[in-house]
Amino acid sequence: MTAGRPEADHQRRSVDFRLPPPVEAFRDQLRAWLVDNLTDEVRDAARRRGVDDDALATLRSWDRTMAEAGWAAISWPAGYGGRGATALEQLVFTEETIAAGSPTPVNVIGINNIAPAIMQYGTEQQKRELLPRMVRADDIWCQGMSEPDAGSDLASLRTRAVRDGDDFVVTGQKTWTSNGHRADWCALFVRTNPDAPKHQGISCLVVDMRSPGIQARPLRTLTGDAEFAEVFFDDVRVPASALLGPLDRGWAVATSTLGHERAGAARLYAMIRLRLHDLVEDLRAAERRRLVDLDDPLLLARLGELDTRLAFLAVLCRRAIAAADGEASGSASLAKTVWGELEQDVAALGYDLLGAHDPGGRWSVARLSTRSLTIAGGTTQVNKNVTAQRVLGLPRR
Amino acid sequence: MNAETDEQVALRDTVRRALAAESPDRAWKRLAGLGALDVLVPESCGGSGLGMVEAAIVSEEIGRALCAGPWLATAVAAVRAAAAAGAAFVPGDRRAAVALPWPGHGAGFAVDGAARVTGVQDHVLGAPLADLLLLPATRDGGVVLVAVEGAGAEAEPGLDATTSVGTVSVAGARGEVLGPLPHGALDAVRDDVLVAWAADALGAARAVLTLAVEHAKVRHQFGQPIGAFQAVQHLLVDGLETVELVAGGVLHAAWAADAGESAERHLAALRLKAFAGRLATVGDIAIQVLGGIGCTWEHDAHRYSGGCWGGPSRSGPRRRTRSPWAARSSGRGHDLAPGRASMTPVSDIEEG
Repeated sequence: MTAGRPEADHQRRSVDFRLPPPVEAFRDQLRAWLVDNLTDEVRDAARRRGVDDDALATLRSWDRTMAEAGWAAISWPAGYGGRGATALEQLVFTEETIAAGSPTPVNVIGINNIAPAIMQYGTEQQKRELLPRMVRADDIWCQGMSEPDAGSDLASLRTRAVRDGDDFVVTGQKTWTSNGHRADWCALFVRTNPDAPKHQGISCLVVDMRSPGIQARPLRTLTGDAEFAEVFFDDVRVPASALLGPLDRGWAVATSTLGHERAGAARLYAMIRLRLHDLVEDLRAAERRRLVDLDDPLLLARLGELDTRLAFLAVLCRRAIAAADGEASGSASLAKTVWGELEQDVAALGYDLLGAHDPGGRWSVARLSTRSLTIAGGTTQVNKNVTAQRVLGLPRR
Repeated sequence: MNAETDEQVALRDTVRRALAAESPDRAWKRLAGLGALDVLVPESCGGSGLGMVEAAIVSEEIGRALCAGPWLATAVAAVRAAAAAGAAFVPGDRRAAVALPWPGHGAGFAVDGAARVTGVQDHVLGAPLADLLLLPATRDGGVVLVAVEGAGAEAEPGLDATTSVGTVSVAGARGEVLGPLPHGALDAVRDDVLVAWAADALGAARAVLTLAVEHAKVRHQFGQPIGAFQAVQHLLVDGLETVELVAGGVLHAAWAADAGESAERHLAALRLKAFAGRLATVGDIAIQVLGGIGCTWEHDAHRYSGGCWGGPSRSGPRRRTRSPWAARSSGRGHDLAPGRASMTPVSDIEEG
């Protein structure tokens, strides 16, 4: 492990792609638990998460099961319901849960993006009440950031909150809000000072989604699923105590990250590894039906190319995880660019080869659903700007 | 995990500083003086006893300095081939080359009972510069490694001026039999050469990308540095992406060569071979960003670009190594599940 976080089980710098025995023991423990507990019903619910409410109930129940067994939000400190897992344990956790088909937590955005701000800025009461319920999926969380006119340029958001006695009064519209139509709570980013420079007039409010004046309308994505919503706020009264972090300093709240969350990048290659595994399985089945020829050199070349990019992406991600904090942000933005394009390419190959034989099947769905990967969470183009400026040191316009 | 040790960082710095101070024609003596030719020679034979991770570091720095010369053929191919035959080859300042057969082909030479060698092998890395040729030769149904001094070779033309490839042709040349080559030994040598060659190309690509980035910061047009334009920024980030992916591939393949089991080692080298060709795009991007001057001999860009192009295109046609998925033909399946001690464990690999 390099500088940054000390890693008790792996202090020395070295080029070694093996993980230390205690980390592998952690892997074995988790793998055994997943074999005993993860059912096909849960795996199937992950695929239907945007389709029906039964699936959502199954997913929430699974999150609770994991939380009670100590396998949720493992990067969180133990005091908040996590287990203070090391970076390498997080990496192994991500590899194993994804390979086993364990669903992404319902509150993944809450756990990774909102909880850090609550831990850093929240009151003791907020921490005690909100965090355990978040990790168990007792409450569903959404994050109110993007607006119709504030996408990549998030800081230009216009939803406003005006102080009125002991309340803020919120008016505006959010969009692309994951789980917005199902959420109990929203970490809502609002403009509290319209006269300040755009990054300095934003605040974060923790909003009860049952408040009068909130309307959420599900948005159907390319696949027909409803994962997102647009959310309308019409004179919604929010108590002033809901302010998370300092007034007008919401930008810092939005960009606060878990110092201890290190393995986000492992999700990137682990997901593609699973997809490529699925593709090979499906191609084998299709070959038995004489629908494809796996000795076709062009097909093998395309698969080999994807496998190679995946292997190198995995090294890039692992290096980002192991790197000191300053270096990590550079490799991470690069890794995200590579990941989005690679997962799209895997889906496109699956669709090219198998889509016609399985209309509406998983490669048709993947072909459509992966388009968002180069858009959500920072477009590839903005990401390249960031990499150019922060890693290559090129000037801003 | 995956971070160079202090010793490895020091090795990189030492080679970089030494090569920066030397003209290319004196670089060979300097490398020999540093012990950089003996990186892979076991300590018991008077070498450094280091591994492929260190060899890749040296190779990358040589690529960065455009000083390839006979290092790869000597310090990697010849040292590893001799070791595979149970013999020690300590280069000193001698230049050597190994007549590796094409993948899937047998030895190109035959040796008789009086150690006289006859045969032909094309595309031998370093052969035109070599004082000593190591020739795999059939004898009594097996393969042995034969050392021949001063045999010479006919150079083959190429774009990369820093390396030299040639055809070795001997008829009854007298040699010395170093020892038997076990089955698969030359495949492992070829893998090591691929890794070191990719590292060399990586060094050239890093250097030329840096030139282009620095140019983009200072070259002004329309009243601002051209590096402030997104179109230029995105080109350079594409180059960085390729460089960083190959850097990870080199690190993993070098580690696997030292520590991995043979299938993972071979697959890692094949992946590198399949992908490293993309480093050529880094040279192309750099020329584009450098603009007119990049298209001339006034600028060094073309020399680095040759370095980026040279290795991958000249260590064998890509189609021979592009298909790790040919593994399926072994009938043992392809396991992509995460597992210990391996990024992607794979069963047997056959080259298509």
